[in-house]
Amino acid sequence: MSDASTSAVLRPVAGPILELRDLTKRFRARRMGKTYTITAVNRISLDVVRGEVLGIVGESGCGKTTVGRMILGLEKADEGEIRFGGTDLIERRGAALKAARLKLRMVFQDPYASLNPRRSVEDSVAETGDIHRIFDNAKVRKEMVGEALTQVGLNPSFASRYPHELSGGQRQRVGIARAILPTPDVIIADEPVSALDVSIQAQVLNLLADLKSRLGLTMMFISHDLGVVAKISDRVAVLYMGHVVEIGDGPALFADPQHPYTQVLIAAVPRIDPASRVTGTLERGEPPSRFRALEGCPFQDRCPKRTDICSTMPELLPTTPGRRVACHHVGGAAVAG
Amino acid sequence: MLVVEDLVVSVGTPRGALDIVRGVSFRIEPGEILGLVGESGSGKSMTSLAVMGLLEKPGTRVTSGRIAIDGADITDATPYERVRKGNGDVAMIFQEPMTSLNPVRRIGDQIAEAIKVHDPEADVNARTRELMDLVRLPDASLQQGAYPHELSGGMRQRVMIAIALACRPKVLIADEPTTALDVTVQLQILGLIRDLCDRLRMGVLFITHDLGVVSQLADRVAVMYAGQIVETGSVGTIFSAPLHPYTAGLMACVPDPSTGHAPLVTIPGQAPRPDEVTSGCPFSPRCQYAGEPCRDGLVPLVRVGEHTAFCHFPLNMGVAHV
Repeated sequence: MSDASTSAVLRPVAGPILELRDLTKRFRARRMGKTYTITAVNRISLDVVRGEVLGIVGESGCGKTTVGRMILGLEKADEGEIRFGGTDLIERRGAALKAARLKLRMVFQDPYASLNPRRSVEDSVAETGDIHRIFDNAKVRKEMVGEALTQVGLNPSFASRYPHELSGGQRQRVGIARAILPTPDVIIADEPVSALDVSIQAQVLNLLADLKSRLGLTMMFISHDLGVVAKISDRVAVLYMGHVVEIGDGPALFADPQHPYTQVLIAAVPRIDPASRVTGTLERGEPPSRFRALEGCPFQDRCPKRTDICSTMPELLPTTPGRRVACHHVGGAAVAG
Repeated sequence: MLVVEDLVVSVGTPRGALDIVRGVSFRIEPGEILGLVGESGSGKSMTSLAVMGLLEKPGTRVTSGRIAIDGADITDATPYERVRKGNGDVAMIFQEPMTSLNPVRRIGDQIAEAIKVHDPEADVNARTRELMDLVRLPDASLQQGAYPHELSGGMRQRVMIAIALACRPKVLIADEPTTALDVTVQLQILGLIRDLCDRLRMGVLFITHDLGVVSQLADRVAVMYAGQIVETGSVGTIFSAPLHPYTAGLMACVPDPSTGHAPLVTIPGQAPRPDEVTSGCPFSPRCQYAGEPCRDGLVPLVRVGEHTAFCHFPLNMGVAHV
């Protein structure tokens, strides 16, 4: 694999294809008769560069799914911008919005829920193309669907099948085929392999990596599973309580996590290593309640490095090349990234 | 000690009975955690439900084999008999605690209910506190009045464990208890299970698809494929020198954050459905080492000390494979 060279070529100098600027989403929730405002996504700024896979990783409630849903317009952002192809997606309406939807596609988590059981594979894969009238006639449609199925490792004869005839792995391949016909600019994949068994998950991950290099796909890959994110991502953003706490090149970030939360998260992944064992004495806190307004660093309650300065919000600042970390205790003198 | 011998579980289908657990045997000593690993449809959950007496009757049932705890045969016991004090003493926790808890009752009352069933003479209040302390639910007095929706996923799983412990089980069955939890919380629950197992000298049958979890938690491992245990051994031997090609293949599929972008070595194809299982080794159609003997007939048991596997061409048997 030539990952090192390609990602070097695709450093942000190429200009991002998708830019999130101070994106914020608040939800209202009622508990015991009181209304609370929960900031699910808190002023997140991210760039996705053409040809890269940006991994978004974090635990439940960190805002990773909400970010994906806002980009796709499934959730309305309260503040901020989503710049795609030069203009703000949030402001787009009508034909401009429809055009964006052809270029921005999604792969869902649950291949059992995301395919219409009464539509054939051909109809599901062709759906986006049908809406945008890209097929000249039924023959072209059939050919292009067959081509997309071949791309994802399925025989074109699968076109006439229905979802109940497919295994979970095959369904997810269909889910990917419909996201690449016609080839989009960006794919948002939210936990695309989490519902699959490990042996099938490995097959689908390899397929996504293969499609990325063959079709030059740009992807935002959202997952709670660090192993999966590490396998496919060129860059990784770690989210905690709606904030980006660390972002950097994938392999370097996993080899040398700098934010205390990233360190805790990576250390918590159970590895196949009989020499390392769970002990009965381990106690680390859980994420704090979302119903309490938070002052300062979101991780301070659980952080082993906490000092007084942590009651002020740390900025996301460059540390080592390609890395930015939001922690008062990392880096010291900031190095230009 | 839990002993399961030659367990066969079958389901009724329109085309007749179909075996989904096909001759499973294992034992769990007090204070020992056995990790039962397998992918969806391998029969691992069916095995645990059979031990618990929770198979959906009449369609699904144990057709042969024996389940015993400390010498008492519980194969035909009702679920109630299995958990009642002095008889079977086996309890179970599930993946999603929210669906197991009553959403409109306070958690203290739900723990107390379990105590009253199993331990009618006990001082319910004192015992509730004791159980809540045992599973390290903080602020017992405050949390007793909480409803399940007010607790986090990890705290709910602690409540479920407290309820399971109310019958003072000799064996705890845990079916994917941490799969729905975040990794940092998962680590705490795994630590709690290890601690309870050691302190209460309780046997634990821990069912999971996650090899990493098993490697960190279990003492021994049983790998299931197509309704059979294909390999059993201690955690140390199974993960350092797997005998069965399926175990080795499964280990290679797990993405590790430290291995970068190298493509994963995958197992081709997919596991057979119960109605597709043929004679011979069920893994042979997907196995890169399979040869003529694997297609048909009985598969031999190979043994390296306590480590066993069903395979014609086991890995790591000698210099040639190392």
